[in-house]
Amino acid sequence: MTVVEGAIIYANLVVLLAMGLTLTYITTAVPNFAQGSFAVFGSYVALTLLRLFKIHPYHSIPVCFIFGGLLGVLTYVTILRPLIKKEASIVTLMIATLAWDLILLGVMGAYSGYLSHVTKKPAIKYIFTPYDFTLLGFPAILFVSSLTILLTLLGLFILLYKTKFGVALRASMENPDLAEIMGINVEHTRLFSWFLSGSLSGMAGCLLPFKQEIVPGTGAIIIVTIFAASIVGGLSSVVGALLGGYIVGISESLITYELSLIFGAEVLVYSKVVSLIILVVTLLIIPKGLVSLRWRKWLGSIS
Amino acid sequence: MAWEHILTEILLWFGLYSIVAISLNIEYGYAGIPNFGRALAVLIGAIAVGGITNRILIAIFNVTGSFAVASGIVKTTVNEIVANNPIFGISLMLISLVIAGILGVIVGAIFILPSAKLSEDYLAITLLAISEVAFMVSYYNPEIIGGYYGVSTPDFFAFVSGEYRVFVFMGVILFVALIVYLFAERLLNTPYGRILKAMRENEDVVKSYGRDIMFLRIKTVAIGSGIASLAGALYSMFTANVIASSFSRVEWTFYPFLMILLGGLGNNRGVLMGVLAFVVAKVLLTTYKYEISAALNLPFEAVWLEYILFGVVAILILYYKPEGLIKEKPIVTKPIRERKSFK
Repeated sequence: MTVVEGAIIYANLVVLLAMGLTLTYITTAVPNFAQGSFAVFGSYVALTLLRLFKIHPYHSIPVCFIFGGLLGVLTYVTILRPLIKKEASIVTLMIATLAWDLILLGVMGAYSGYLSHVTKKPAIKYIFTPYDFTLLGFPAILFVSSLTILLTLLGLFILLYKTKFGVALRASMENPDLAEIMGINVEHTRLFSWFLSGSLSGMAGCLLPFKQEIVPGTGAIIIVTIFAASIVGGLSSVVGALLGGYIVGISESLITYELSLIFGAEVLVYSKVVSLIILVVTLLIIPKGLVSLRWRKWLGSIS
Repeated sequence: MAWEHILTEILLWFGLYSIVAISLNIEYGYAGIPNFGRALAVLIGAIAVGGITNRILIAIFNVTGSFAVASGIVKTTVNEIVANNPIFGISLMLISLVIAGILGVIVGAIFILPSAKLSEDYLAITLLAISEVAFMVSYYNPEIIGGYYGVSTPDFFAFVSGEYRVFVFMGVILFVALIVYLFAERLLNTPYGRILKAMRENEDVVKSYGRDIMFLRIKTVAIGSGIASLAGALYSMFTANVIASSFSRVEWTFYPFLMILLGGLGNNRGVLMGVLAFVVAKVLLTTYKYEISAALNLPFEAVWLEYILFGVVAILILYYKPEGLIKEKPIVTKPIRERKSFK
């Protein structure tokens, strides 16, 4: 895996996670601090299928999609909806997702202990790279992750712009109160956004072990990248998440690599510093993200 | 395990967590700033002891060699001096605390800068991200506080014999916690403390009275971080060995949030009760973790159970008792008290 390939693979996964984060932020107005653990949950689903049923992780992507979606729905129904009904503040909801993140960490840690006990194989720390193969001279994960993104975008586009449900969905994202007056059930769109957020993260989690080592606490590390990607794009825009995901994902890998050529290999572990710097610079210059820029006006003044 | 041991453990952690919880209460309970990066300030306290005081001592005693080796040599030298000269040890401790406090204030003020103008969700995300990255860097970089190897620091109470050391530390930590508590109580009943509560309730009103929200936020997080960093410094002095991995987000951001939610936001006496309840549960869980694992026949470590338990408790509190054990009371200012006594 060359550096550029690695950067693209990583960025693909970051895009999935960042889109998941923004989807629920748009409908529920709460940044989900458990998004990283959603991904690790997907990784554990894939690991379980691999160890117990010998299913290749690429074949378990649909299963991860569904299980991830169910986790998203579970998060909304059991944790957030009761609190929203009691008109809890945003900070309360954020603390709740933080607590949920801790619960997921505990559950996955316990499960990893259980799984390694049952299968007698490591589950606390694992990687899927040995299961990958080469396709046309490239690692297969490059194609699989890119294809996943393309299908996801196509699916989202058809859903949002070609179906009646999509119109309702977009309406309730833009203005929930008005949508409700027009007879749209905002509750359904929220549930759906949580399903989608969970399932995108589940897929990302299924593929993440091909790129890096997974431990139960991996979620706490990748959450920085996910937040940076979403904020760079503008927290409340799916297109922004796409842009931000590629910018942050690719620069995290490439800039760290370039720096390692100058300062030596020990800077490679500081890749998250790059994400953080991009995040801080964005907040200082364009706090509402890339999508808040008036691109048409700019382009107009150039031409 | 002997009950005296459990009791000292509880009191020690009660002191440490009281300091952190009260600092968070000033920021979140009073001012409504969701500081999801509390762990950073505690880490700064550890850096002040393990990274700065250690380096000063290395320079004073002119020890050569790598940082880890030199700190080991300095530890032995300083311990020998302190054993015969208690005043030297105590002044080293005070200097370290002052460094920790000042560094905490500076770092607190800087780390909220990028998001000081933004809404709560952006604020929380950015503070969490900065804290998480700082944790990672100090974990991977052995030059700051020894990274994953850790670094040993001198025992500033080497003049106390081993069996009493823990009691002396318990006393010092509880004393600092008491001062922090009194300070927070006094702070609340000043114009500044009242404006913080006003800011929590409605920022626009505070703005319309000509107060700068950004400045208030920076000042509050600076004060809070300065206090929390004392806890990090005291903890590092107690263990006499700093390891970056002991300053995780769960231990020093999430648990303090849980404690102030449990006790009651904006209310220091409640917060102390919350800390006590939490610490008793935590110490008992930690002490009997092997027994619990064995009794339930768990095929995994009991720490995961602890995470699940405290996560569930936090959500239950948010849902069933958002005001905590003791409800916040209105501030009684001097004129109000006088008017009451007239009646």
